[in-house]
Amino acid sequence: MSSPTSLQAQPAPPNLEQLTRRLDDMWSSSASIARMEVEIVTPRQTRTMRMRVWTRGEDRALIVIEDPARDRGTATLRRDRNLWNYLPRISRTIRVPPSMMLGSWMGSDLTNDDLTQSSSYMDDFTGRVVGRSESPSGWLIRYEAREGVVGLWRRIEFVVNDDGTLPLEARYFDRRMRLARTMRFTEVREMDGRRIPTRMILIPHDREGHRTELHYLDMDFDANVPERTFSLTELERGR
Amino acid sequence: MSSTFVIAWRNLGRNRRRTALALAAIAIAQVSVLAIDGLMHGFVDSTLDSLTGPLMGHVQIHAPDFREERAPDLVIDDVDMRLTAVRRVQGVASAHARIYAPALAAQDVEGFAVVAVGVDFEAERAHGGLLEGLRGQTPGDREALIGEQLARQQGIEVGDELALVGTATDGSIANDLVRVAGILETPMEMISRSGVVMQLESAQEIFAMPDMAHEITVRGTGAPADAPALAARIRRAPTMGGLEVLPWMELAPELASFFSIAGLYGYFVMLIVFLAAAAGVANTMLMATFERRRELGMLLSLGTSPGRLVRIILIEAVLLGLFGVFIGCVIGGTIVAIQGAVGINPWASGDANVAIYGVSFNEAMYPRLLWSDYVPGFIGVSVVSILAALLPAIHAARLEPVEAMRR
Repeated sequence: MSSPTSLQAQPAPPNLEQLTRRLDDMWSSSASIARMEVEIVTPRQTRTMRMRVWTRGEDRALIVIEDPARDRGTATLRRDRNLWNYLPRISRTIRVPPSMMLGSWMGSDLTNDDLTQSSSYMDDFTGRVVGRSESPSGWLIRYEAREGVVGLWRRIEFVVNDDGTLPLEARYFDRRMRLARTMRFTEVREMDGRRIPTRMILIPHDREGHRTELHYLDMDFDANVPERTFSLTELERGR
Repeated sequence: MSSTFVIAWRNLGRNRRRTALALAAIAIAQVSVLAIDGLMHGFVDSTLDSLTGPLMGHVQIHAPDFREERAPDLVIDDVDMRLTAVRRVQGVASAHARIYAPALAAQDVEGFAVVAVGVDFEAERAHGGLLEGLRGQTPGDREALIGEQLARQQGIEVGDELALVGTATDGSIANDLVRVAGILETPMEMISRSGVVMQLESAQEIFAMPDMAHEITVRGTGAPADAPALAARIRRAPTMGGLEVLPWMELAPELASFFSIAGLYGYFVMLIVFLAAAAGVANTMLMATFERRRELGMLLSLGTSPGRLVRIILIEAVLLGLFGVFIGCVIGGTIVAIQGAVGINPWASGDANVAIYGVSFNEAMYPRLLWSDYVPGFIGVSVVSILAALLPAIHAARLEPVEAMRR
């Protein structure tokens, strides 16, 4: 009774189903085109890339690097669970083998596997509202992987804002329940009619001093992206 | 004393069959000890030679944390200058730089994981180098040698073109094409399974590493055991500040402790063998004194002091032991010498691919003996013989002469 917060009216816990649906749908659309900036921070250097991203449905994506000039035109194509890299300088397309799916994508803290994930919190996890979270302040939601679902994460904890509309932080626990990475969601802005966090900061816990920031510059959630965008021939066609 | 010695010696000749059996037991024990010692030396020699040769050298230099993280941007910069400095250090036979860059490779569209290894071809072709025994032309710029297992697995042939994609040291995307100039057969597992070996300069260009490398491998003029002293000298050399300089024992601590465990095991075997020899001597001496009760009683009654009797029996036992060890040394030494001259190949059975510390072994090893290997046998058997004969000797000394002669 003495603490000032307890005197204020407590916000009501979020509706789990609504929240889960919102987390699943936050960035997804039938087709989208985005421009984003990726900042890769290591203890020794910081590198920034700018790229354009086309998506269609849950399992089609094409990422083309626009900047820096040295890497311009380098592209990654995702179709279902497959990933190809196109390298314009040697004009080669190379499929990423399963053995390298956990390797770094373009030197970032994202893995190739991250790019081919399309897991759904609704279908693949069981959620539970745990209670209030102190840091950051909000509601702590815990998602446990459903029995039989193959994935890297056994548990994902979200901290969402008081009204349960925006994620603030996500913590990813691996199969041995070790905290493997934290994702922070910041810079909430309205983009193409949606209020979304536009900067995501990924912190891997096994690599000290490493960080990857994903920053949406602009976004078209309702773009016309034909299926043929995601073909190998299109990948190799000069862009 | 000399007559004591003569009596002891003659006593051994009285039951020749029994003495021969005891000698044979002791000799066989010594032969086994020497054979194990010889094998052990041969094994340690060949293992150390292979490991501290091409793979590790005697001493390696890295940027701190490179060995744990294997991050391609943990580089040694100013490599040329540092190499010059290392080569000037007393006791350094050779020093050369290497690059290890993980990469995605592809012949067509299917990618596979490789490690691009940049080396100084000329230096690595010398004895103990990564490419020792490599014949033919040195690959040129943007040409590579492919590890034999990797080539077999991916169906890569000489003349093929390989695309390489990785992360450059500056964080950008390294990508280039290399032509396959040859297939590399090497005992180095990592190189054989995933190595794309190219000129240091090519690797430096592809991965944006001007005048940089990941590793400097140093071979000393001395034995592998001298590596810590060599490492200490290199550490004191100018321009080595901020780098990690380690002898092979610290690069592969498991290996170093493996060798000391192998040594302990040798002692353990020796202990068992000596116990067996002791049993042989004890048995022989018990029998000999028991048989000679009458005679020993006679000697005592004729005024031989019990002390002299003890000495006779002990000397007899020691002579027996030492003579047995001597025979064992001759036979064991000969066997090991023959093995050492011919070489034995413990890995030769079939296609067995025995890999120790990432180096697969298929070369013969050459057992050899140090002079010091002969010594423990003599000392051990002497001590053991005295202990084994002490009981019968004391028993003899305490004989009541008249009682003993009556039976």
